[in-house]
Amino acid sequence: MNPVDNDRTTSRRELFDHARDHAAAAARHHIQGRAAAMRRPGRPSGGAKAVPAPPSAAIIALNRLGWGPRAGDIASFNALGGTDQQRLTAWVDQQLSPASINDSVCDAKIAAAGYTTLNKSLAQLWLDHVVSNPPWNIRIQPYYEVERATLLRAVWSKRQLLEVLADFWHNHFNIYAIDSWISPVWSHWDRVVIRGNALGNFRTMLGAVASHPAMLYYLDNYTSSSAGPNENWARELFELHGLGTDHYLGVLRQNQVPIGPGGKPIGYVDDDVFESTRCFTGWTFDFDTGLFEYRSDWHDHFQKFVLGTYIPANQPALSDGNVVLDQIATHPGTAHHIATKLARRLVGDNPDPAMIDAAAAVFETEVAAPDQLAQVVRTIVLHPSFLATWGDKIKRPLEIVASAMRAADGRFTFALDDSDTSDLLWRYDQAGQPLFAWRAPNGFPDHKADWQSATPRVMSWRLVNWLIDVRDAFDVYLLNVLDQTPGGVRTANQLADFWIDRIFGRPIPAAEREEVVEFMAQGHNPNFVLPLDTDPDTRDRLRSMVGLIFMSPSFLWR
Amino acid sequence: MSPRPTRRGFVAGCSAAIAGLAGSRFPRFAFADPETTVNNEILVVIFLRGGLDGLNLVVPISGNDRGYYESARPNIAVPLSGSNGALSLDGQFGLHRAAQPLHQLYQSGKVAVVNATGLNEASRSHFDSMEFIERGTPGNKTTATGWLARHFSCAHNLPPEIVMPSVSVGSTQATSLLGDRDTINLSDPDSFNLQIGPWEWRSAQRIALRHMYTDDTTWLHAAGLQALDAVDLVELNISGAYTPANGAVYPSGSFGDGLQVIAQMVKLDLGLRVSTFDLGGWDTHVSQGDGGGGYFSSLIGTLCEGLAALYTDLDGAGSANYTNRLTVVVQSEFGRRLFENADRGADHGHGNPMIIMSGNAVPGVHGAWPGIGPGQLFDDADLAVTTDFRRVLSEILIRRMGNNHLGYVFPGYTDYQPLGVVAGVDLPPDYSTTGDGIFADDFESGDTSAWG
Repeated sequence: MNPVDNDRTTSRRELFDHARDHAAAAARHHIQGRAAAMRRPGRPSGGAKAVPAPPSAAIIALNRLGWGPRAGDIASFNALGGTDQQRLTAWVDQQLSPASINDSVCDAKIAAAGYTTLNKSLAQLWLDHVVSNPPWNIRIQPYYEVERATLLRAVWSKRQLLEVLADFWHNHFNIYAIDSWISPVWSHWDRVVIRGNALGNFRTMLGAVASHPAMLYYLDNYTSSSAGPNENWARELFELHGLGTDHYLGVLRQNQVPIGPGGKPIGYVDDDVFESTRCFTGWTFDFDTGLFEYRSDWHDHFQKFVLGTYIPANQPALSDGNVVLDQIATHPGTAHHIATKLARRLVGDNPDPAMIDAAAAVFETEVAAPDQLAQVVRTIVLHPSFLATWGDKIKRPLEIVASAMRAADGRFTFALDDSDTSDLLWRYDQAGQPLFAWRAPNGFPDHKADWQSATPRVMSWRLVNWLIDVRDAFDVYLLNVLDQTPGGVRTANQLADFWIDRIFGRPIPAAEREEVVEFMAQGHNPNFVLPLDTDPDTRDRLRSMVGLIFMSPSFLWR
Repeated sequence: MSPRPTRRGFVAGCSAAIAGLAGSRFPRFAFADPETTVNNEILVVIFLRGGLDGLNLVVPISGNDRGYYESARPNIAVPLSGSNGALSLDGQFGLHRAAQPLHQLYQSGKVAVVNATGLNEASRSHFDSMEFIERGTPGNKTTATGWLARHFSCAHNLPPEIVMPSVSVGSTQATSLLGDRDTINLSDPDSFNLQIGPWEWRSAQRIALRHMYTDDTTWLHAAGLQALDAVDLVELNISGAYTPANGAVYPSGSFGDGLQVIAQMVKLDLGLRVSTFDLGGWDTHVSQGDGGGGYFSSLIGTLCEGLAALYTDLDGAGSANYTNRLTVVVQSEFGRRLFENADRGADHGHGNPMIIMSGNAVPGVHGAWPGIGPGQLFDDADLAVTTDFRRVLSEILIRRMGNNHLGYVFPGYTDYQPLGVVAGVDLPPDYSTTGDGIFADDFESGDTSAWG
C-alpha cells in the first residue's frame, strides 16, 4: 500500500500546486485570523440540543440496517407499502430472507474481482496457505480477500442487513485477523461461522466459534490442557460472547450467587470461568490439517460445576464444553446482553429498555429456533421505538466510506491487485476502523462517544475528499460526479439540490444547504448557469461540493 | 464551600488574551498559592493495555517473597543474576533487566515506583477495569466523562484560554479525556491535515465546512468544530520532520513514534498540560518469555527505552527544560496472577505497580507491600491491592497540578492521604462532588446522552 501521503491529483499538477496552495492557505488564515485556542471561553459544549428529528422509515432503515441508500433505493423502499410501518415490515422481512433477494450485480462484481479463496474449505485453506509454506502475501491472502469482499458487498450487495449483521457478529466474536495462523483460515471464519449463522441460532453459532481454529488460536484454548489450563477463552466467552459484565459478580464464591427466576444463578463469578476452563481443556486443532481436534488425553475428566450445573466426571468427548455452551446460550443474561448489543448497533447508544426486553424475550423463547437471531433482529426493527430514534448514533468510518460510495456510485474493483483499492484501504485504515484488525477481543467500539474525536473526524474528511478526486488508470474518476449530474442541472441551487437529494434522499437543515449552495456559487447568483461543461475549475468545484456534503454533519447522523 | 474566585473573576484578574498567548510561558511562581497561580505542569499518562505483569517488572529479589515468587514462577521468573538478572531498586525489589533505561533514571532520582496499586473492585475483566480507571469511578463504567476531563473542568489555576491544553495520541480520544472539548486527538501530525481534494477549492471548502459545524449546537457540531480547530492548529504549527533533542533515541515503531508526537507538542510551547498514549500487547496468557527473556522482555524494552527517550528529549537546559514540570504516569488495568500457567504465561490478576517518572519524583519504592506468601494473596492467587490508584493520581493532582477538587475528579473517593511519590505543596482535599459555578458542566447532571 501507498506509504506516502501524496494526493495523486495534486502530484499531477505539482508545478502549479505549490504556489496556489500556499496562497489558499494564507487566505484561509487571513479569513480566520490565527488558529483558535482549543481552550477558550465560550467554546461550544454541544449540550444545547440533542439531535435532529427522525426522518422517514426509508432513510432510517437504509442508514441503520444498511450501508446507506444507492440511487433508487428510497423509491423502492417506499413502494413496499402504504405506511412507514408497512414498508419497514416488508423490507425487513425481505432482508431477513437474503436468499430470496437477487444479488446478481454483487455476485458479478465478486466474480470480476477474481478472488480465489472465499469458498475454499478449511482443509483446502490450510493446505494452500499454511502447509505449502507460501510467501507471506499468499499465506494471508484469505484475509486480504475477505477485507476487500466486505467492502465490495457493503457497496454493492442488495442483502444489506446481512452485511450489517455480518459486521456486527465479526465484532461480537472479534478476532485480530492479521496473524500467520488466523489469516489463512479467515474466509472460512467469515463464510461459515459468521455469515452462516448471522441470521441463525445463537447456540449453533457459539459451537462453530468455539471449535474454529481462528478462535482457538486467538484466545489460546488450543493450548489448554488438564496439566496446563488456559482461561483466556473461557473468560471472554462469559464476559464478551455470552452473559456480559452486567452479569459478572467478580470473586464471589459460586454458592454466594443468588438464584434468579428459572433456577439459574443471576450471574457468573471467576470460579465459573475457572470451571469452564477445565471443561474446554483438550479443545484444540491439528496444526497439520487446521481441523478441530478433541484431545481426550488433554481433557480434565473430573467433575465440574458451572453456572449452577453439576457436571459429573468422565463425560463423553466434548460433552463438558457443550454443557457450558448450552448454559451460556440459555442464560437470561446472555439474552439480555445480545439484545442490548444488537439494539445498540441497529438503533442507538441508549436503546429503549422495553425494546431490549422484547428482543431478549424472543431470544429466550426462540432459543432452539433455527432462525432465532433473525427473529430477535425483527423484534428490534419492528419495535415502535426503532422509527422514533434518530441521531443516537453516528456513522463510523466503515459506514462513511460505504455510504459515500453507494450514494455517488463508486467504481472501485476491490480486486487484490488493484492499486486504487489498496490506496483506498490505506486511507480508510487511518480513519481508525481497519477491518478485522481490532486487537482486543471486544471488537470495535459501538458508542458514538468513541467516534467523535478529531482523529476519526479529520481522517474521514480526508478520505471522502480523496474519494471524489481519485482517478483510475484511464483517468476516469472512480466517483464520477460529473457524469452522474443531469444536463439540465447547472446552477448552484440545482447542483446542490440534486446532490443533496441523491446523497440524503431528504432535505437537510436550511443552514447546511445554504453552505453547499454558497460554496458552489462562490459569491455569484446561485441561479446563474455555471460553465460546468467547459471549465475544469468548475468541475473541480462540483466534486469539492460533493466532498463537502460528505463532510457535513447531516451525513454522519444515523 | 469556601469562597473562591469564579471563572469570571479569574478572567478579570488577567487578560485572557495575554494568558492565552503566553501559554506555558506565563510566569511561574513556585510555591505561591497553588490554587490560583497559573499552573504549568505537564502530565503524561501512559496506559499499558492488556494487564501488565507487574510482578515481572518490579520483581521481589530478596526475603521470603523471593522464594514464593520463584516457586510460583518456575519458568517465567526474572532471575537474580546473569544477563537477564534483575536490577536492584532497594534491595527488596528489582526491575526487569530490560527496564535498564528506567533503572538509570531511577538511580538519578527521577523515578518513583508504587507497589500493589489498583482497583478495590474485584474485577478481572480488562474492559471494565479500564473503564473504571479511566473514567475515575471504580464500579461505574457509565460515568459520562473521564477523570482528566474533569480535572480540566474544575482546576482553578488554568488560564481560561490555552492554545493546546491536551493531546490524546491515538486513533481515538482516550477515555480519561472523554467529554473534553479542548483535546486534540491525533495519531500522526504529518497526515493530520485537510490538504486534499481539488486544490483550488480546498480553502473555500474548509470555510464552508467550518460554517456548517457552527450552524447548530448539537454535540456533533461541537465535536466537528473541535476537530476543525485541532487541524487548524496542527497545520499552523507543525512543519517538517521532528528531531529529538539531547541525543534522545526513541524505539522504532508506534510507541516511539507516539512519544515523539508528545515531545513535539510539549516543545511547541502552546500550553500543553495533559497528554495520553497507550502501549498494548500486555495480555500475556501464553509464552511471555522464560528466564527474563522473550516477548515480555522486548515489550518492557520498548516501554522503558521510550520513557527514557522522552525524558532525555525534554531534559534540555534553560527554556528547553521541560522535565522540571513533567510527570509521567505509567499504569495498567490490573496485574497478573502470581502463579504462572502451564503455557508459560500468566492469567488475569489484581494488584500492580504504577511508575512515576518526573523531575519532581520522590525516588524509591512506595506503597505498602502486602506480601505474596500464603494468606497474603488476593483470592489466594494474586498480588493484593494496598494502594487505591486514585491515591497516586490525587497526589499528582494536588502536589503537581495544584488541583485539590478530588470529590469532583474522583467522586466517592474520600480518604486521600499523600504517599509521597512526588514533591509539592499539600492542599486540603475538597471532596464536594458538585460544581461551584465555575464548572462548564457537572458530570453527573450533564447531557450524558451526548457521550453515550
